[in-house]
Amino acid sequence: MSGVLTAKGLNKKYGPQLAIDHINLDIQPGRIIGLIGPNGSGKTTTLKAALGLIPFEGELRVLGFDPRTQRDELMQEVCFIADVAVLPRWIRVSEVLDFVEGTHPKFSRQKAKDYLAKTKLKPDMKVKQMSKGMIVQLHLAIVMSIDAKLLVLDEPTLGLDIMYRKQFYQNLLEEYFDENKTIIVTTHQVEEIENILTDLIFIQDGKITLNTTMDEIGERFTEVMVNSENYQAAKSLNPIDERSVFGKTVFLFDGVGRETLKTLGDLKTPGIADLFVATMKGTYA
Amino acid sequence: MNTQKWLLKREYWEHKGGFFWAPIVISGIITLFTIGSLIIASVIGKNSGMHFGGNSEMNLQVALSKVTEPDKIEFAQGLANGYPLIGVPIIIAMVFVVFFYCLSALFDDRKDRSILFWKSLPISDKDTVISKVITASLVAPIISSVAVLVLSLLNLFVFMIIVAFHGLNLFGYVLSDADFYLTAVKFLSMIPIYALWALPTIAYLLFVSSWAKTKPFLWAVGVPVLGGVIISWMNAMMGFGIDMSSFWKFISLRWFGSIVPGTWFANSNGANLSDKGDGFSELLMQSYQQLAHMNIWIGLVIGVALIFAAIQMRRYRDEG
Repeated sequence: MSGVLTAKGLNKKYGPQLAIDHINLDIQPGRIIGLIGPNGSGKTTTLKAALGLIPFEGELRVLGFDPRTQRDELMQEVCFIADVAVLPRWIRVSEVLDFVEGTHPKFSRQKAKDYLAKTKLKPDMKVKQMSKGMIVQLHLAIVMSIDAKLLVLDEPTLGLDIMYRKQFYQNLLEEYFDENKTIIVTTHQVEEIENILTDLIFIQDGKITLNTTMDEIGERFTEVMVNSENYQAAKSLNPIDERSVFGKTVFLFDGVGRETLKTLGDLKTPGIADLFVATMKGTYA
Repeated sequence: MNTQKWLLKREYWEHKGGFFWAPIVISGIITLFTIGSLIIASVIGKNSGMHFGGNSEMNLQVALSKVTEPDKIEFAQGLANGYPLIGVPIIIAMVFVVFFYCLSALFDDRKDRSILFWKSLPISDKDTVISKVITASLVAPIISSVAVLVLSLLNLFVFMIIVAFHGLNLFGYVLSDADFYLTAVKFLSMIPIYALWALPTIAYLLFVSSWAKTKPFLWAVGVPVLGGVIISWMNAMMGFGIDMSSFWKFISLRWFGSIVPGTWFANSNGANLSDKGDGFSELLMQSYQQLAHMNIWIGLVIGVALIFAAIQMRRYRDEG
């Protein structure tokens, strides 16, 4: 089965700078993938390559299409919000709905209207009269109303307040997502998407440092809260990270059995944020 | 899918001010000016008649009613052939609107990043660029020409009504003149020649718009002007003997000037613009004769190449 997105030796240089360093990827349908990395790690560049916005080297197929040569066909099935994208300032809500309805065969105006009914947006409002949050609401309402096979969201909720962010991810999961769709999302607010993700990819300096499912994370990574008397014992098991909390030490282990760790202290599955910090630290050390 | 229809609508929505409101505002001003001056003329005509001889018979009314039959026919012919001329300001405004429209058409959305929204829709870059070419070369001239005809007919009728009140009824003469109807058709028939002639300039401006990282205006105007200055300098220093006056003539009349309607007349060698009474016929004839010259076809080839280049720019320019 060919995946939604497959990359082999994907490479992208900006001058001498390597933005993507021979990445291999295979993303299957029906997944929600979190693409996590620090600024400048290459995550936006990877997404841009997949969306046919930039030239690149290596092999990349998105829904079976080559984004370099088959972008027009690809865009029928893919929808995206780029991190810096904005809606044109001159356009009205009604005009943008007319336009997308006229040009996108998979757009449902009714759905968009339903989403917009929950906001303060009115049909004759122009984008330049809206707050940043309202613009994002409009953009998300449009994107959520397009029945695309692949949805790419690069920092989609930037500028939205927490109430609407929670609601957005809930809508995404309950009303938008199904087993035929794939969502790739990047965000700095990792905690907010933690419970909707099925897969996790860490990217750093143009390389993938972790590519796993959320289920595997529970099996592979364990956090143990250790008293000072067990400190040396825990340390000898090669934790990938340690930090102190209230006089105790929290160790993060990769691939050490829970049976072994149970004797050292209380066990917990680590959060993505902690895992992220630990992995990033590891590579800098 | 009628994507192109929506793309054209999109351009119209964004630039409604320049394409739609500008001609209307100019028409309004001209019409007010016409009505105002006709009223002033008739008031002064009346007053001065009463004021001067004490003989109120010798006013504008009498003067107009004494116009002879051959004069009436000649005057009516002039009106029937030349009425669109009052709309020249609309055409001048269109030239500026189209010029700046082309420079911003593929630049503004890159600058404000809304290009990433347009690119998230299933619309090819080819269709996008073509919609902008059509808007500049056909939509703007068609709207402006219709505005010119509406304005000039309105003013013609206002004029004829007012002089009719003063005893000079021209309606029969003008409306029975076949040229009155043909003038509108001839006027609109200039549009295809304009589109073909203006295409290289439109394409050039669009290409700069798709390529420039900043200040498309400076690039578009600066490069040929600077190029000319360098060539003149080398010419003067090393005596290449290049005829600079024809270089500047080419830059002003063809490179940029092609978006000004009628610049193709400068190309008709030796053909004299006789001022015969049949107004637009002569102009139209000469316009379509351009199709026999290589100039317009070479321009088209360059225009198409530049449009193709603009599409490639639009497609692969990294907006990171």
